[in-house]
Amino acid sequence: MIINGVEIRDSFAEAFPMVGTRLIITADTPDWALTAGRVTTGFATSVIGCGCEAGIERTLAPEETPDGRPGVSILIFAMDFGSLKKVVPLRLGQCILTCPTTACYAGVEEGKRVPMAKTIRYFGDGYQISKKIDAKRFWRVPVMEGEFVCDEDTGSVEGVGGGNFLILARSRGQALKAAEVAVAAMTKVPGNILPFPGGVVRSGSKVGSKYKGLFASTNHHYCPTLYGTVDSALTPETGSVMEIVIDGVSFDSVAACTKAGIAAVCELGAAAGVIAIDAGNYGGNLGPFHFKLREIMGADATGAK
Amino acid sequence: MAGLHLKPRAPFATRADLTGITPSGLAGLSRAEIERLAVPHGAARLPLAELFFVESGPDGVLLIEIGDERLDHVGAGLEAGEIIVDGAVGAWAGQGMSGGVLRIAGSAGAFLGAEMSGGVIELAGHAGERAGGASSGSRRGMSGGLLAIRGNAGPFLAERQRGGLITVGGAAGEGLATDMIAGTVAVAGGAGPQLGRGMKRGTVLLHAAPELPAGFIDTGSHDMIALRLIARRVPELAGFLGGATHARRIVGDTLMGGQGEVLVV
Repeated sequence: MIINGVEIRDSFAEAFPMVGTRLIITADTPDWALTAGRVTTGFATSVIGCGCEAGIERTLAPEETPDGRPGVSILIFAMDFGSLKKVVPLRLGQCILTCPTTACYAGVEEGKRVPMAKTIRYFGDGYQISKKIDAKRFWRVPVMEGEFVCDEDTGSVEGVGGGNFLILARSRGQALKAAEVAVAAMTKVPGNILPFPGGVVRSGSKVGSKYKGLFASTNHHYCPTLYGTVDSALTPETGSVMEIVIDGVSFDSVAACTKAGIAAVCELGAAAGVIAIDAGNYGGNLGPFHFKLREIMGADATGAK
Repeated sequence: MAGLHLKPRAPFATRADLTGITPSGLAGLSRAEIERLAVPHGAARLPLAELFFVESGPDGVLLIEIGDERLDHVGAGLEAGEIIVDGAVGAWAGQGMSGGVLRIAGSAGAFLGAEMSGGVIELAGHAGERAGGASSGSRRGMSGGLLAIRGNAGPFLAERQRGGLITVGGAAGEGLATDMIAGTVAVAGGAGPQLGRGMKRGTVLLHAAPELPAGFIDTGSHDMIALRLIARRVPELAGFLGGATHARRIVGDTLMGGQGEVLVV
């Protein structure tokens, strides 16, 4: 399949079930909300080393938030519910509670409950105040700046982690440019995050290593400087490969996000130095979710090969 | 339940007790059984049909026409469904109710919604003393649900309230929120003296600073995010709070170690 001169390889992204939740962070200004969102989702690129994967889903206008102030919604994913219950209060306490003017609210109603102020309220040392409205409780924790307002807990969803695609391009600059365009299009699709720096991974990994005890190592099949010396997945003209990883609240949201990203890259096309779109998988036996590139892009093909 | 329409045959000569006359209490009973239900009336017990004309009405609704201030325990223990009173009720209306809706077009006597734990009471008129409070000798008052009083509330509103929301369109009498444990009361028209004595926690929302006992301490005016949240999450308080962002926070009753608050917005 070729779209605008870009080969869509007959491959698929292999993804895994993850448990995730959404938090709504508000602040006096959009900047401070964004600061809290960025800090809270910092050091959360991969569960391999960070314990969770997190990112900003989107920014929120004042009329979309529970307290009428500007905000951001963030998504946090972990491999199991027990881990999620640990990382959410930890990040909430260190990054949102501490950030000037913020408040934090539940962003998911359904599913198993993930503690928020249920844990953090003890910072109030007995001066914390709760209000229960219908079945929903929120807390006011007195802090030096004023009061930190936070919901008791939030719901959770069974999401999908590790959706991905690779952009093969002639040069590093062209690969990066294509990745940036993809990220811009993908962040418009709700229900997903791109947990890596700026949404882009330049060091995609494979499972395992020649070194004992290392779970992941560089994906040498896609390293351009190893072309010819290893079993390479590249073509001679490929100068650089960038990967985009997607975590989402459902299979469909990840599929929609993948499609938006690949479509944006293909719009740049071969003229912008993009050679092919590929995807990372482990042979299909490890992850239950398979995002087949050609199926996802099916309707957009202009000339099948 | 098939709907029921109760119309008093005559003004009540003495107090009548409607405990148990609720949609769930009547469920499964035939019309004849309902008509024979014994209702305490003064010192005697009379069949329901001797006090009321009993007719069928819209499904799930118990409609009491005309009403009477001697009709006690209307909607007491209500769990689900709707009771509409087209007039006044006596004492203990909605006492201990846990769900459903009780709408009263007139005024209510003492102990309206006492110890209710859920559901909604809408009162168009005035409430007597100790609305949302605790029964005599009981340690805890209302613990959940909504008690909306459009008129004035009598003395000792929200006494020992433990949770839930009370809104008053008019004024509240003396001793509002005495020994309050938790929950929220909003009074639009001002409150009488001796507010909040023995208050442990909970929030009293007012538009003007009231006369408060010695145990209350004014912490000053604050920009409170919680006001904006409550205005959006609690439709019943949206009108009261408007676009308020600041409140004067007065904390008490500190003489009793309490951390309740009066918020003046």
